[in-house]
Amino acid sequence: MTASAIAQQDTTLYQLRTVEIFGKPAEVFASGSRVSTLDSSFIHTYTAGTLADVIQARTPVFLKTNGPSGIAVPAFRGTSPTHTAVLWNGLNISQPALGQSDFSLLPVSSIGNIAVQHGAAGATYGSGAIGGAVLLSSQTQPDPGFGAELMQEVGSFGRYFSSANARYSGRKVSVALSGYRVAAENDFAFRDYGRIGAPTRRQDQAQVAQHGFTQDVSWQLSSKTRLALHGWYTYANREVPPSLGAANTNARQLDRNLRLMTELNHHSNWGETSVKAAIFNDYLRYTDNNNNSLTDINTYQVQAEQTYTYARRWSLRGGLNLQHFEADVQGYGRQVTEDRASAFLLFRYDPSQRLDLSLNLRQAFVKGYNPTPAPTLGANWLMLQQGGHALYLKGNVSGSYRVPTLNERFWQPGGNPDIKPEQGWNFETGLRHRYTLGAVLLESEASVYRMLVDNWIQWMPVTSSYWSPRNLQKVRSQGVELSSRASTALGNWQLAATVAYTYTSSEQVKAYEGSQELNRQLAHIPLHKAHLGTDLSFRTWTLLGNLTYNGLRYTDNSNANNLPAYTLLSLAVHKKFALGQSQLVASLRSDNVTDRAYTVLENMPMPPRSLAASLRFIIP
Amino acid sequence: MKKITRFRSYFLSAACAFAAVAFSSCDSDNDGPAGEYARNGVLISNEGAMTKSNASVSFYSHDSKSVENESFKKVNAPLVLGDVLQHMTKQGEKLYLVMNNSGKVLVANAHTLKAEGEIAGLEAPRYIAVLDDNKAYVTEWLGYDPATFAYDNGRVAVVDLKTNTVTKTITVGVQPEELLITAGKLFVANSGGRSVTVINTNTDAIETTITVNDGPNSLALDRNNMLWVSSTGVKVYDPTDWSVSEENSTPGSLAKVNPISNTVMTTLTFSQHAPSPGRLTSAPNGDKLYYVFNNKVWVQDVNAVALATKPLIDRGTYVAYGFNGLGIEPASGLIYAGKASDYTSNGWVVRYNSQSGAAIDSFRVGIAPNGFVFQQ
Repeated sequence: MTASAIAQQDTTLYQLRTVEIFGKPAEVFASGSRVSTLDSSFIHTYTAGTLADVIQARTPVFLKTNGPSGIAVPAFRGTSPTHTAVLWNGLNISQPALGQSDFSLLPVSSIGNIAVQHGAAGATYGSGAIGGAVLLSSQTQPDPGFGAELMQEVGSFGRYFSSANARYSGRKVSVALSGYRVAAENDFAFRDYGRIGAPTRRQDQAQVAQHGFTQDVSWQLSSKTRLALHGWYTYANREVPPSLGAANTNARQLDRNLRLMTELNHHSNWGETSVKAAIFNDYLRYTDNNNNSLTDINTYQVQAEQTYTYARRWSLRGGLNLQHFEADVQGYGRQVTEDRASAFLLFRYDPSQRLDLSLNLRQAFVKGYNPTPAPTLGANWLMLQQGGHALYLKGNVSGSYRVPTLNERFWQPGGNPDIKPEQGWNFETGLRHRYTLGAVLLESEASVYRMLVDNWIQWMPVTSSYWSPRNLQKVRSQGVELSSRASTALGNWQLAATVAYTYTSSEQVKAYEGSQELNRQLAHIPLHKAHLGTDLSFRTWTLLGNLTYNGLRYTDNSNANNLPAYTLLSLAVHKKFALGQSQLVASLRSDNVTDRAYTVLENMPMPPRSLAASLRFIIP
Repeated sequence: MKKITRFRSYFLSAACAFAAVAFSSCDSDNDGPAGEYARNGVLISNEGAMTKSNASVSFYSHDSKSVENESFKKVNAPLVLGDVLQHMTKQGEKLYLVMNNSGKVLVANAHTLKAEGEIAGLEAPRYIAVLDDNKAYVTEWLGYDPATFAYDNGRVAVVDLKTNTVTKTITVGVQPEELLITAGKLFVANSGGRSVTVINTNTDAIETTITVNDGPNSLALDRNNMLWVSSTGVKVYDPTDWSVSEENSTPGSLAKVNPISNTVMTTLTFSQHAPSPGRLTSAPNGDKLYYVFNNKVWVQDVNAVALATKPLIDRGTYVAYGFNGLGIEPASGLIYAGKASDYTSNGWVVRYNSQSGAAIDSFRVGIAPNGFVFQQ
């Protein structure tokens, strides 16, 4: 087990081969853009946590979270939560009513790999991939035979996490099952600045109960054909804490998400054929003293792709995606159905070993209106190769779009059936440097980008009785992303360190209606975010440290009020014991080690220092 | 008369600005209360966005001709004012801030803004009326049913201001909104029904209820000590575009009530059915009434027998919450309007000439300004 941190995806190391494993990663068609993969040892440290924990700690994505139990939605490159697409095995799983994903509903233990696409990639990932995309995939089968794992974690503030998984992999069939359960009181103490004298109180409205399971079956029908089934169910019943100073209205949110998909892959002289069919059910019930809101949506999705690869020179993928929504949402006053389609063509060309190019295009079709086509043109050039050094120059121009959410179109009152899709353009360039000297590996990347999002949708009051979404804004986001990772091995020692910094300036530059704030940083987008991660392992011991800095955030679009910057330190230590063929890993983890009092959103106190101890039993 | 008053205040502030160079402070009235927010300015209540606890108080100083935002926070941080500042009123040296979604009324010093206490145990407080230094009344909405969107009867909480505790609650009509004390009685507008509850302030017992047009929401007292009630009428929404239906709604009205006999003297009914009147505010000398109707400000002579046919302030197509609050400054006679753009960015206070209705100037305040306390 080496290193932690984000391992930069090296698209140039990828070799185009005629005989290829099924499911060529979509990143292959992302030449010149920035794609990072979260390292598995870091993910293991957060097995008991959610996607929100790992994304916040090790990527430039800022997560807006309203507390220990609350929703956590992404702000990627200065965009809004609807501007980050989340894909599971290649299909978009954003909740269709809100058009966003709550990262605290996605448990790390149910996910195999996590990759992050920085910047627009509308051509590859479709609607919503404006600020970026988070790509999740199911666990892949490592070795043939049986394997199993059991884990139990006990943490501060009454948190218990249990998970179990088992897998079997034979010559033709492989099966994997996993399940988890979380119960957390989150009854930490905080100073209640909403009361005179700021009494210390225990949080009593942040209880969480979550459980879920995954199932992956893969069947090799012939040497050229494989059928896979993936199932993912998550359940979360959470109390939503009130802001300091606000009355407790007993807010509670119940989420149930069932995702089932089947995937057929076939290899022929025409290349690879992949057909995916999926059914998703997203159920959400929000209740408090004044609300009882129910959302129940079935999504049917089919995606067919054909990829043809010619020698090591070029690769062409064409595909079609169809979505059908059946929405039973109280706020719509009736059942709503909608069909969406999109067609895409992705092309990668390697004119020489030192240069790769990609040219992608997607067109979406929605009844009543069609978004403008989303193209991508990108290049990655190995500029310099000398000694242990390799220097790449990258660049990319990409279009993106977001089809309005079902709420934006159908919510009553206010839903706007005439609303136009949002449209974005992303321009970026960067340098990537790799240096190897013996056992030392140094990888660095610097990117600058500029992004324009037009027809940005925002809800505004149209009369004093209701609000309505309007194509209100043109937003310009620009910034810098720097990251560097060094790793080495010395005898029994393995060391790695990652440092990263992000500057994000996101401002509204034009308003189409009403009085809007121009040229000011959007609310809840930090200008500066940085992290430092270190990894140290010696024989059976591993020590991980992570320091995250989030800069000042304005709480309103006038930039009149702000929340102070905060730095969080987390530490974890693992020790492995061999028990015959099996392994026992004992871990101790502490988050917010310095016991920093902070809030991510205003008046929402976050947990103080916490401790968690876990045991993991692995049968390889 | 008003012009002279305004000129005098300009002159005074100019003189003070000059004097400030020579002396460290300038008090035109040495007997006045001390405190940064005590005098010659306006306290502005900013509602804030619901559930965010970002309500605030701003102070506009006539001396410096500038506004200071987050004045409460500046004095009391890290104390959080609370969620949804619905109403703010002053009694003697105390400032009462009704924090709707915090379920309390915060008590602060009216001159320094220093938080002094809170009246807790309230459910959804809306407005406060202070009788004297000992007693106040707070309206509360109760019993909302999210399934039917209907409320139960609300109540009036009787507050002992010496101990800041609720001593009694009086059940009134549905959604009791503004309340007003006159002639030894408390009048409560039950906005979810069609009545005004009359409560004897000696006994705190209900004396009677006065039937008015549907949806009584705001109250004002005129020069002749007559009580004015604005009523919205019954509003019916068009199911396709959710606008208020002109055809199916009933018109709003202004009613003049004799508070001694508890009888409705006159009802002036609007000809348009869809818009609703509200924010009834009387001129400092009580000879005129100002109100908001159809997102415009109108003025009404208290003795007029018909409604005005032309608005005083007409901004054309204006933001939906352009008149989120209305106040008339006694000294200058200027109309102060709280203009909220949305609930994610700061609002404005726009000042208007009360004769011509012309906009004079504006300044930036907190989120959703909705009320004013004029410090003399």
